[in-house]
Amino acid sequence: MTKQKMFLRMITASLIRRRSRMLVALLAIAVGGTILSGLVTIYYDVPRQMGAQFRNYGANMIFVAADTETALTMDAAEEAASVIDSGDLLGMTPYRYETVRIHEQPIVVAGTDIESTKITSPYWHIDGSYPASSGEVILGSDVAELLGLGVGDSFNATYSTGDDSDSDEPNLGVDMKVSGILETGGSEENYLYMSMDDLNELAGEKDSLQVVELSISAMQEELRSYVEQISENSDAVAARLVKRVTQSESTVLTKLQALVFLVTAVVLVLTMICVATTMTAVVTERRREIGLRKALGASDKSIIGEFMGEGLLLGGIGGLVGSVLGFVFAQLVSVNVFSSSITFQPLLIPITMVVSVLVTGLACLLPVRSTMAIDPALVLKGE
Amino acid sequence: MFFRMIKGAFVRQWKKMLMIALTIALGASLATAMLNVMMDVGDKVNQELKTYGANITVVPKTASVVDDLYEVEDGTSASSGAYLREDELGNIKTIFWAFNIVDFAPFIDTTASLSDGNGVTVVGTWFNHHLDLPTGEALNTGVHSLRTWWDVTEGEWLDEQTFTSGTQGAMVGETLAKQENIHAGDTITLTTEHGSESFTVAGIFSSGDSADDQIYAPMDAVQTLSDTDGKLTSIEVSALTTPDNELAEKAAKDPGSLTISQYELWYCTAYVSSICYQIQEVITDSVASPVRQVADSEGAILEKTQLLMVLITILSLVGSALGITNLVTASVMERSNEIGLMKAIGAKNSSISALVLTEIILTGIVGAAIGYFAGFGFAQIIGQTVFGSSIEMKPFVIPIVAVLVIAVTLIGSVPAIRMLLRLRPAEVLHGR
Amino acid sequence: MSLLELRNISKIYGSLRALDNVSLKVDNGEWLAIMGPSGSGKSTLMNIIGCMDKPSLGEVILDGKDIAKESDKGLTAIRRDKIGLIFQQFHLVNYLTAVENVMVAQYYHSIPDEKEALEALDRVGLADRAKHLPSQLSGGEQQRVCIARALINHPELILADEPTGNLDEANENIVLDIFRQLHNEGSTLIVVTHDPEVGEVAQRMVTLEYGRIKSEVVNQNFGK
Repeated sequence: MTKQKMFLRMITASLIRRRSRMLVALLAIAVGGTILSGLVTIYYDVPRQMGAQFRNYGANMIFVAADTETALTMDAAEEAASVIDSGDLLGMTPYRYETVRIHEQPIVVAGTDIESTKITSPYWHIDGSYPASSGEVILGSDVAELLGLGVGDSFNATYSTGDDSDSDEPNLGVDMKVSGILETGGSEENYLYMSMDDLNELAGEKDSLQVVELSISAMQEELRSYVEQISENSDAVAARLVKRVTQSESTVLTKLQALVFLVTAVVLVLTMICVATTMTAVVTERRREIGLRKALGASDKSIIGEFMGEGLLLGGIGGLVGSVLGFVFAQLVSVNVFSSSITFQPLLIPITMVVSVLVTGLACLLPVRSTMAIDPALVLKGE
Repeated sequence: MFFRMIKGAFVRQWKKMLMIALTIALGASLATAMLNVMMDVGDKVNQELKTYGANITVVPKTASVVDDLYEVEDGTSASSGAYLREDELGNIKTIFWAFNIVDFAPFIDTTASLSDGNGVTVVGTWFNHHLDLPTGEALNTGVHSLRTWWDVTEGEWLDEQTFTSGTQGAMVGETLAKQENIHAGDTITLTTEHGSESFTVAGIFSSGDSADDQIYAPMDAVQTLSDTDGKLTSIEVSALTTPDNELAEKAAKDPGSLTISQYELWYCTAYVSSICYQIQEVITDSVASPVRQVADSEGAILEKTQLLMVLITILSLVGSALGITNLVTASVMERSNEIGLMKAIGAKNSSISALVLTEIILTGIVGAAIGYFAGFGFAQIIGQTVFGSSIEMKPFVIPIVAVLVIAVTLIGSVPAIRMLLRLRPAEVLHGR
Repeated sequence: MSLLELRNISKIYGSLRALDNVSLKVDNGEWLAIMGPSGSGKSTLMNIIGCMDKPSLGEVILDGKDIAKESDKGLTAIRRDKIGLIFQQFHLVNYLTAVENVMVAQYYHSIPDEKEALEALDRVGLADRAKHLPSQLSGGEQQRVCIARALINHPELILADEPTGNLDEANENIVLDIFRQLHNEGSTLIVVTHDPEVGEVAQRMVTLEYGRIKSEVVNQNFGK
């Protein structure tokens, strides 16, 4: 049997046969490992998960025509948007505004992609329902009040370019129905929203948009770089950040991350101290054994090596257990708070084990070094 | 004799007891810090979310102003003639939830022409206006707090209280400024059918929305330009709110549908619908509604942040509980010789238990006290670093932590003591 | 030829002289008993001979070298290489088996050798208990494991401190038989004891009192 084998046999026997003691120390380390890996997972996931929550504020980027000469077409917009990661681009909603006549009043109508508005304007409050078929529209609450229309009411809308003298046919307009009334507390309440197809039927086709709203899952710096790229690449499209949304998101998310980080740091320090006290207790308990080994001729270096070996082995096992439990905890949090799963980071297991080993090693250092002071004579003779 | 033994233990074994007290202190400090942060984080994040601007708008009941989102129209925005009263502005700070009103600003819109004949939308408002309240308090509020995302690209924010120019100041949106070649420090003249006013441009701002095409100027001057002295087209309010639930939604539709106790509960909770209702009570002929984009999203984020903190706090509490139990059990087991000896000389189980438990509990109390103050410190460090403000210490955390420490200490010591007492003294003394 | 020589050894703690000017010679292969009541200084003397303590005054010559001048590291080395220790409280590592406990001594000395360790256990009659933990062994068996451990590195000097103090008569006899065997094989034995029965089976008995040698008796009946 080689010396190394005997070394391993001694430290594993210590851990396996002294079961209750070992479990107690292991528990402290596993708890630390759980907290570390759990909180680190949450720390890295907070921007993604909370970020998704912030998309409730709606579009964070808009496209407008680069200058008054060039038209903003859907194609130009889609091409400009191609620089954005398809996974990050959550929604893109075009808007075309025209003024139409309803009940003799001029009303501004927005032709858009109704489905898409559910993503870029998730805060819309619809009394009634979203349009289900062609000819159905959403009426802003202010417009509804002005026209005296409610959910389910029908009306006629006419569009004229003012060049009626050309046409021989009477302008009959299009009959439409109110599927829902929109309440937002903002300027949307002044508009009527219909599908782009419906607007094309009403006001003729025109491949020119006033604005495209985009909802992108990305942090402020990434968004800014997108804006730069798009401005460089496209002649027709100018991209702008909706500062109200992006600035605030950045501030709040950074603070949340900082909070999780600080809490993790505090918890980690406290856990380390806890492990240190546990190891001190372990060393104190084994005073006699240490004295015996010294009496048998063990050098201080040897003793320190043996106890550190035990500590590091404990740290490794505790780290492994902790990383698994930490993942379970983070998953629990993610599912209960954000209703989604966390992305599993396989790297976290070895990292937690390494940190656990390091922390345990550090925590053992002082108590193990104190074994140097143990006098075999005192310990073996006295009680 | 009992007290003599206890005193003896403390005096001679103080190092060991200090270590136990310290570990309990650690656990208690973690628990204290986490609990306080958890309870305050909702308010803190709520404050942070105010950067999104107003979550309530107040408009005249009969108003229907049609305006454009992203383009300037020439002279078509006309109000129907209904306005809010400027003299009632102070009333906002007299409602039940006055304390939750963080900022507010009045608005009056009009169109005017620049010197070159081009039409612009001019928004009259407060920037950093000093208001004396009917209650005797005073506050400073205005657009400066409600438009935190504005980047002032030239010059600086207009502050009515400190602006030194003889004429009034104004702030010009970036897009308009580029178009008309206006810079900070320039004097611009705005003309309407009611007259002309000159303004010194205090700053150029970039907002990323329709404001970039507009001019913002002090309330009084714009009222003069549009002949609407003492009148407002709208008020924006930024309030700290509690996330909506079923009750709030029911009340928002019709407060009259609630029972008396439901009504009281709703009125006395800072739901956005409740605050809107209370504002309508103090501003004549007004309609206050939540700005859905802000109010709804706030609620979701607040809820999730709080839930996140609760779960993290539970994890920390479990962790510190395990740590303390661990150590207390170990320290009791260490005294196996002492306990065996006491039993061997004939002490009763109950008196041995009493002695050991008393020592441990006293140590625990000392540890918990130290821990509470340390925890206070940790909480403040977290609060200052993350939010730049101090965490409010809720007094009922004290009993919670005290109960936790006592419970955990007992769980750690009682089974261990009982186990040792069951052993025969010989076993214990001879170390089997 | 003397293996061990103590010259004017004193151990002073403040005003207390645990050992006061003690001189002693031990020959190679000799079986010496050191006796005396408690407080006589025999434990202190044992610690000094066993290289676990250093005298305040005097010289300790082991195998020609003055170990009183050695550093702590040096003392450890000497303990490891030259001395086999047997204690009253049969200190065994409670989570290692009998054979593993013997191998621990080998580990610090040179290389652990399971075969050799088993042979040592066989010499003390415990070959069939090799895989048992100390908690599974009787008092006498535990002490015998200690003896096996003390012998494993073939030390020059075997030092036993009250080796039978915690044993019943039957086990005491077994241990003394082993000592006789060791003596016959040529080992040098120093046994510290307060029990006259244990002291009388040695070749020479030195009695300490108040830190000084009170008497020295050579056993005329030894070996008969």
